[in-house]
Amino acid sequence: MRIRALKDFWSGVMFCGFAAVAIFSARGYALGTAGKMGPGYFPLLLAVLLAALGATLIARSVVLTGEPVSRFHVLPLAVIAAAVCLFGVLIEPLGLVVSLAALTLMSAWAGAQFRLAEALALAAALIVFSVGVFVYALGLPLNIWPTV
Amino acid sequence: MDVISNLGLGFAVALTIQNIAYCFIGVLLGTIIGVLPGIGPVTTVAMLLPISFTLQPESALILLAGIYYGAQYGGSTTAILVNIPGEASSVVTTIDGHQMARQGRAGPALGIAALGSFFAGCAATLLIALAAPPLATIALQFGPAEYFSLMVCGLIAAVVLARGSLLKAIAMVVLGLLLGLVGTDVNSGARRFNFGMTGLADGIEFVALSMAIYGIAEIVYNLEKQQTASIVAGAVGRVWPSVSDLKRCAGSILRGTALGAILGVLPGGGALLASFAAYTLEKKVATPPRQFGYGDIRGVAAPESANNAGAQTSFIPMLTLGIPGNPTMAMLIGALMIHGIAPGPRVMTDRPGLFWGLIASMWLGNLMLVVLNLPMIGVWVRLLRVPYRLLYPAIIAFCCVGAYTINNKPFDLFVMGFFAIFGYVALKLDCEPAPLILGFVLGPMMEENLRRALLISRGDPMVFLQEPISLAFLVAAAALLIVIAAPAVRLKRAEVLNE
Repeated sequence: MRIRALKDFWSGVMFCGFAAVAIFSARGYALGTAGKMGPGYFPLLLAVLLAALGATLIARSVVLTGEPVSRFHVLPLAVIAAAVCLFGVLIEPLGLVVSLAALTLMSAWAGAQFRLAEALALAAALIVFSVGVFVYALGLPLNIWPTV
Repeated sequence: MDVISNLGLGFAVALTIQNIAYCFIGVLLGTIIGVLPGIGPVTTVAMLLPISFTLQPESALILLAGIYYGAQYGGSTTAILVNIPGEASSVVTTIDGHQMARQGRAGPALGIAALGSFFAGCAATLLIALAAPPLATIALQFGPAEYFSLMVCGLIAAVVLARGSLLKAIAMVVLGLLLGLVGTDVNSGARRFNFGMTGLADGIEFVALSMAIYGIAEIVYNLEKQQTASIVAGAVGRVWPSVSDLKRCAGSILRGTALGAILGVLPGGGALLASFAAYTLEKKVATPPRQFGYGDIRGVAAPESANNAGAQTSFIPMLTLGIPGNPTMAMLIGALMIHGIAPGPRVMTDRPGLFWGLIASMWLGNLMLVVLNLPMIGVWVRLLRVPYRLLYPAIIAFCCVGAYTINNKPFDLFVMGFFAIFGYVALKLDCEPAPLILGFVLGPMMEENLRRALLISRGDPMVFLQEPISLAFLVAAAALLIVIAAPAVRLKRAEVLNE
């Protein structure tokens, strides 16, 4: 048996994975009855449905043909996702200036055409704009500088 | 006349200096992001949600709505001049629009796109004003069973009209529904799917989720593609189409508007589907000689009218039923809820100023857009020269600041990081994100209505089949599924959506 529709196969695996996590973590929720539903009723219903859909996708992938999955560009994805999370870590203790600088430089670096001078200028421009618009003009409660 | 007095009230709201200014900012931003490839209305509306906190709800909605329909105008500029769609809904405009630009007819192409959009915008706004009140009156009588079945029908329709694999789209809906249930269950107070994280007690932040998928994941996906943009050099020339062009296009604009207006109301519809369908229809029915693919001006007029009509009428289900037809509408529902307004049929009766003010502002906004797009076309052409490597870090930065300021919660950034990865994987596997977003918004509402309906019927699921309106929705949903599964229709659908 050969898997021919790879995109379908991996989608099915992904959906089954989510369903498995949902079923596993919903095991403690009270089900109740249809007339008096507990917190576990609807989620379990959905999770089982999702698992069935995922399984169908997997089963179908040996029959149908499909395109191969194109290469995953892991590095840009990882750097940008990490930059976003880092922004969340830095924003409260270190304020907008430092966290925006880190975010912009990291995101710019993730692209193929990184130029340091240009990225620094872009970061400076974004910081000036954000402080001006978000903090001063709109009065959003954001720290500008480190508070520690 | 009721409509006229209501519209009078609407214009009284829309024509305050403050709201004219917000409408202008909205359509201006919409045009900008429409012109720029790689950033769409969903991300922009999400970025502006925290700002709209500080506004009156009327102004907030006028501003955010302007972004959506403004983007339809801007998208055509990029499509015609660069052969890259500025928005997904202007993909088909590239076919004939860019050919026209190569033949030195960029001006008339841009002109007919703007004029067609303007006509479609005005006609569709009128349709909202006429169709929304009776629809809301009907919707007021809906009980939980009707609402549940309506949502099922809406989600199925959204899936059927989405591009790509039907099965994957349904799975994305179900996954979205599940993600929508994360957080504290309103009925029992039980915390669901929080994995021991207090940050998930209030559920997954919608803004963070949608910016992660439509903003960040899209950017990473775009970074892989080497874009070789070549702007058609030289002067754009006279933008006003000649009389013979206008005569040639009149029928196309009318057909595009009508088709777009109908498709916009359907869940999953809106601007994207409308433009594809209108182009396909035009290729079949336009009077010969047809030169589609080689710079036929009707190939610009029809889809550009249709996408604007569809963008406008997709407000109808959002305003009357509180049910979003596409991710941008889901975002507007979020904006209403931030202001403590429960979306649904009561908005029109409880807050007529908000409802009619929004409609009146659309007329105003469409007028501003024609002015913005025709005489100022040179400005937008210059904007296209901003390279993507400068643009995308800025988008990421604004997404992050926006996601944080919604709740001042650093945890939301971790949510965004996680779903950025998920969104990228989903894009790679051809799983369309729109059904997931719709499911996410409808998840809690569906559970609530299912629970209430079955509580009233004492657990008898037959209640969904016994109420006539509910039955009608379910039959419609089943019919859609059966029809789409039929091989002949399946091929046709693939043809229409992929052309």
